[in-house]
Amino acid sequence: MRRRGLGTERVRQARTHPIVPNIRHLRIPMYKIRIARNFGRRFGMTGNEIHHLSSKASYSKPSFNQTTRQVTMDTSQYVHGDVLVSTQWVADHLGDTDSIRLVESNEDVLLYHTGHVPNAVRIDWVNDLNDQVVRDYVGHERFGALCAEKGISNDTTVVFYGDKNNWWACYAFWVFKLYGHEKCLIMNGGRSKWIAEERPLSKEVPTFEQTTYTALPQDTSIRAFRDEVLKHQEAGLPLVDVRSPAEYNGTLLHMPAYPQEGALRGGHIPGASNIPWSRAANDDATFKSRKDLEAIYLEEKGLHPDNDTIAYCRIGERSSHSWFVLTYLLGFQNVRNYDGSWTEWGNLVGVPIEK
Amino acid sequence: MTPFEAIAEDFASVDDQTRLELLLDYAQQLPPLPDAYHALRDAGLAMVHECQSPVFLMVEVKGDVVHINADVPEEAPMARSFTMVLVAAFHGASPEDVLQAPEDILHRLRIVSLLGMQRTRGLSAIYRRLKHEVARQIA
Repeated sequence: MRRRGLGTERVRQARTHPIVPNIRHLRIPMYKIRIARNFGRRFGMTGNEIHHLSSKASYSKPSFNQTTRQVTMDTSQYVHGDVLVSTQWVADHLGDTDSIRLVESNEDVLLYHTGHVPNAVRIDWVNDLNDQVVRDYVGHERFGALCAEKGISNDTTVVFYGDKNNWWACYAFWVFKLYGHEKCLIMNGGRSKWIAEERPLSKEVPTFEQTTYTALPQDTSIRAFRDEVLKHQEAGLPLVDVRSPAEYNGTLLHMPAYPQEGALRGGHIPGASNIPWSRAANDDATFKSRKDLEAIYLEEKGLHPDNDTIAYCRIGERSSHSWFVLTYLLGFQNVRNYDGSWTEWGNLVGVPIEK
Repeated sequence: MTPFEAIAEDFASVDDQTRLELLLDYAQQLPPLPDAYHALRDAGLAMVHECQSPVFLMVEVKGDVVHINADVPEEAPMARSFTMVLVAAFHGASPEDVLQAPEDILHRLRIVSLLGMQRTRGLSAIYRRLKHEVARQIA
């Protein structure tokens, strides 16, 4: 028996239920995921069928504000503004796949598949970058294999973008820097700005010729480990806690609107300043101007670009966004991301905590 | 076999790639929120606050039948997909069926490895809300 897409099949069953008025009108997609369950094997789904499946996705596009595209992003204001590119720059380089690789990195595991910047590959922070057994990143050899598979060579320019103010894009950027990738860029404004500007989206998953990639052992000058953090704290050097104020104060053990994610104690590392990561982003997901960032990080919080600084959050993802801001936009000399963060510190025996 | 068991069997019988396609399939099928619920949603009621995206989940027990009406943004397809699984499995079910449904639903759908532990908990919260609301309304 040919089966419709299985989800469709189940919804069809629900539709026949007499009390289900609100899904009666559902259009039944014509694509088919054919599964011969009775024979215990799956018939392959062709690329065209997958495309057809994807093409059924519908989007409500945010209204396009003409002024958005007219504003020229002034990256020269930042200390190392050359790591930021605009959506227009990316649009102008979509075809340069020999030298440039676009990488989408999201929190939502399905989002890339609903449509992405043409020629972008997906790298997932959990399944691609984190080791599934040891709490660590994948290791330089597996990182090299990942890059090779995505068609990224050591000299490829990798442009990261993603959902939620480029939060996960910055995390992927940091991991690429950890393994010594030289040419990393961020598309300012990320996925939401690209979509707001009604730029093209593709559901085609591009494949590129396998490369050879030699990843370096971790560059621990950008990564802080717990013993180093303790020494740093004892020496009274600057720490930045980029979590929400309630997490920082210890009244919440996790992000507001996020479920509990595992620390036995609430509070922060003594002496840390609280600068929530999202303060660095504008409403359109671009980074704030250098002037506005300096007003927050330097004037309001008293950080200084010459001081060794450690940023942390809960698992090191939000703080990689702040690490990016401090290192590249404000030119701090030595910023490390403490990826163990609160899920390590809040569980460690005997370390000092402040509420 | 209950509707949920049938869905779980679908998810269990396919490989990771097809499971992803199946999830996208469900995400596309979440019906638009009926007009009657817009005011509630716009007032911020019946939101699942544990989710990072604004997930509206209105659960009503009318007579002996559970009704689920939901709204999840397009930018959060994973939450949309999971919500649609709940609609397909439990919209029209009896309150007892919902309360007796397994707790480890995400494991049964075989989506934990796809998401990693960090991303499963918002979805768990949607499911907890469903069960909690049903239990509250029949109490």
